[in-house]
Order: sequence, then structure tokens, then C-alpha cells
Amino acid sequence: MTALPRPTGRAKNLVLFLVLSAGIATGITIFSSASTIVEWVETATSGLFLPVLLSLIVTFLLDPLVQFFERTQISRTTSIFAVYAIFLIVFILLLTLIGPPNWRSMLDALQADFPRYISRVLEYLNSLLASVHNQFPYLENYDISGKVRQWAQEFLGLILLETPRSAMRIGSLFLLVPLFSFFFLRDSRRIMRNLISLTPNRYFEMVLDIYDHVSWQLANFIRGRILEAMLIGLVVWLGLSLTDIRYAPLLGVIAGVTNLVPYIGPIVGMIPGLVIALVDLGAGPQFWWIFCVYLLIAQVILDNFILIPILISRVSNLHPLWVILAIVMGGKLYGVLGMIIGVPIASVIKIAILEIRHYRSNFNSAREILTNHHD
Amino acid sequence: MNPLWSNIFRKPGYEGTLAYFLGTVPTFANLGRRDLSFLATLVHIRNYNPGETVFSEGDIGSGMYIIRSGKVRIEMKDEQGQDQIQADLETGDFFGEIALTTPKHRIATATATEQTVLVGLFRADVLDAIRKHPAIASKILLGLTRVLSERLQHAGLRLREQSYAHLDSVNKDQP
Repeated sequence: MTALPRPTGRAKNLVLFLVLSAGIATGITIFSSASTIVEWVETATSGLFLPVLLSLIVTFLLDPLVQFFERTQISRTTSIFAVYAIFLIVFILLLTLIGPPNWRSMLDALQADFPRYISRVLEYLNSLLASVHNQFPYLENYDISGKVRQWAQEFLGLILLETPRSAMRIGSLFLLVPLFSFFFLRDSRRIMRNLISLTPNRYFEMVLDIYDHVSWQLANFIRGRILEAMLIGLVVWLGLSLTDIRYAPLLGVIAGVTNLVPYIGPIVGMIPGLVIALVDLGAGPQFWWIFCVYLLIAQVILDNFILIPILISRVSNLHPLWVILAIVMGGKLYGVLGMIIGVPIASVIKIAILEIRHYRSNFNSAREILTNHHD
Repeated sequence: MNPLWSNIFRKPGYEGTLAYFLGTVPTFANLGRRDLSFLATLVHIRNYNPGETVFSEGDIGSGMYIIRSGKVRIEMKDEQGQDQIQADLETGDFFGEIALTTPKHRIATATATEQTVLVGLFRADVLDAIRKHPAIASKILLGLTRVLSERLQHAGLRLREQSYAHLDSVNKDQP
């Protein structure tokens, strides 16, 4: 009798072992297949990030216009087409009036000029380094100029190599962005309604209300940020075109895009302009005018006194620590693009959290009032 | 209109649509066919099991419900905290309409007593409609106001009757 439990115990162990190993095997299979699936998803969506982002931006910008047309009893699809037609006409008019921009010569000039600017910066850095070395001779001689030169060469190589490819990419953007934003504009409401209708009955009203508040705030914030960047870029471009500086449109675009990042962005955005001004024009009155355009007119007067109070609410202000974290994390995820959009996305998350908290506190206080009333 | 003609212009199967159903609700009785089909895109259709709570007292309300099918019981707590049945609502009835215009907490609890389909119209969607189609939105709101003011008048009349009755009883008691 005593011998009987032993085999069953062994059988049990065997079964346990089999089950465990089968479980581990399935776990590993699921995990590996999951990681391959994640990989697939990554490769499948790798080129889509930029077009989707741009079409979301276009959607946010065009939505008020589409709504304006919709108010005159035109269907939404027709009004989207109307807005597209208007933009196409304006685009064609600009092309015929000003002529197509001479990308080729601009690119050639930039390729010729870029090493010149970099070598000037290197010269300056070297002299700075030499003076620092004179003052603190015990410091290790750190090869900053070598690093910068290496980085600049890599960057130049990237421009030369990527130009044909990025031309293809830009061409596909011209096709994809209007297509995507058309569907975003037409169907975003329906898509969001369907998503919200999945919530359980008990929380449906709350979710709908919170979604309404958050989406309204977010749309305002995103629209405000984009308009701000555009206006800053425009003002910098106009301000720079008054001087003899070259690449004023390009510098305007850089200033506008980097302006999306608070605190650090404007400083980074003005470096290329100041370098080009110093190298080409010298430290004369024109240089100081350019400096004034960047710092005083664009940043202090336009951005701080006019645009931010009008366009952007206080709610979206982030603590500088969060700004730096968002830049670093965005850079890790998506490179330069991630650095630029990291801070706006962090603000978006902050707005959403604040709105939900605000709603919940209202909800709870209403509850309390009612229960006190009954007691 | 001649019934023959009205039948010709009526699309087959229109009676079954959500827009037609909304037209039968007194709040939206004054809306045209076009307005009703727009309203049908605004509302949400929600399904409830028997015994499921639609909303309970103290919730932040954000809209009204219309019963498309099924039954809903409205209950209120009295001074002792006991649930008192206020009404049993049926197909075509609506409730919770006060919360549509102002974010107030619900003063009653609504529970589905059988398998129920409710049509919900919420403040978020009405505000959206005001931005996009002000004309239709004002018609919807006017219908709602009409029903609410009828109720207010009714309540005022009843209150006056009761106070007269009270005065009468006081006068009888005095001599």
C-alpha cells in the first residue's frame, strides 16, 4: 500500500513538470511572437509617423474653416473639398505669381556655404579653447573642435545622401497628408463617437463630458501652438529679409519650428541665424538688428507679450524640469522630431490630466453636498 | 395635406428609423424631417439590462434620455432615506432633461426595469450642434424650452390651487 502513492506522486511530478514546461514554452512562444508582432508593427508604421503627425496638424488647423463652411448648410464632405480647393487655388496663384522656388540652387549654395560656416565656428571655438587653456592650464585638453568637425561632416554627408531620398519622401507627403487629413476631418467625430460608445453605461455620461472638455482644450492648445510657430517664423523671415542675410526663409522656418520647445527652443533656433550673420556680415549694425529681431521682436514682444497671452492658456505651462525630461525622452524615441514634439505632447498629457481631475473634484463635491443635504 | 400625397412623399421604412421615432417625442414635435435626421446623428443609443442603473442620485448629469423601448423607473429618496417610486416611464417618455442645459447633479435615480433601449441626448453634443448648425440647434432647444415651460406653468397652477385650498381650510377653521 505504501508503494502505491509513490508512483502517483511521481506521476504527479511528471504531470506538473510537463505542464510547467508546456507553460513556459507557450509563454516563450507567445512572448517571441509578440515581440515579432511588435517588430512587424514597428516596421509597418515606421514611415507613417511623420505623415500622420502632419495630417493631424493640418486637421486641427483646417477644422475651424471646414466648420465655417458647414454652417452654411453645406455637407461636411463638400465643405472639406471647398477648403481644399481654396488652398489649391492660393497655392497655384502663389506659384504663378512668385514662380516655383529654386530648390536646386538653394541646395547647391547651402552645400557650398555650410562647410564655410562650420569652419568659422571651429576657428572661433579653437580660439576660445586656447584662451580657456591659457587660463586654466591644468585642464585636460578636450578636443571640442574635432568633435564639432566630425559632427558637421556627418551632417553634411547626411544632407548629400538624404536629399534624393527625402525628395521622394516629401513627394509622398504631398500625397499622403491631404488624403489622411481629409479622412481625419470627415470621420474623426464618428470614430471618436464609436470609441466612446464602447464605455459601460454607468460611466458613459462622465466619459462623454470629460472627452468634450479635454478635446476642446486640446484643440485650442494645438491650434495655438501651431499658429504661434507660424507667426514667429513669418516675423523672423520678414525681419531677416530686411538685411542682406541669405537663407532668410530657411532661418524663419527653423525659428518657427524650434519655437515649439519652450525655454531651449528659441535659443537653439537663433544660433544658425547668428552664425550666418557673423560669418557673412560681420559684427556690424546688421548683426545687431538680426539679434534684435530674434530676441526682442520675435521672442519678447511678439511671443511673450502678444501671442502667448492670446493663444495659449496658463494651464499648459510646464515646469522646466518636465520640459527637459520631455525633450530628452522625445529625443530618445524619435530623434530631432521627438525633441520638438516631446514638449507639446507632454503639455497635452498635462491638460488631459488636469481636466479629468477638475471634473472628478466637481463630481465629488456635488456628491458631498447632496449627502449632507440628506443628513 | 391629402393623405394620398403624404404617403407618396414618405419613404418606405421611414417609420422604423430613429429620426421618425424622435419626431414622435413631444420635445421634438416641431422639427422638420431634415432637422430630425440631423438630430439622429447627435444622439447616442444605449442598451440597458433589467435592473441596470441609468443614473443615480448625486451623479453629475449631462443630458436627457428618451425611452425607445422598455421601461424605466424613477425613484427619489424621502426624508428617511427610503426610495420612493416617482414614476414608471414607457416608450416615448423622456427624463433627465433638466441636466441638458445646466451641469447639475441628478435629483433622482433612474433604473431600467426590463430590457431597455434609451436614446441619449447630451450637453456636449448639443454644444457641438450649436457651433456647427445654430439654426437646427435652436429649434431643438426651443422644443425643449416649450416642454419645460409648459411643465413650469402646470406646476405653478397646481401650487396656486393647493395654496388656495390651504387658505380655504384655514378660513374654515377660524370661525
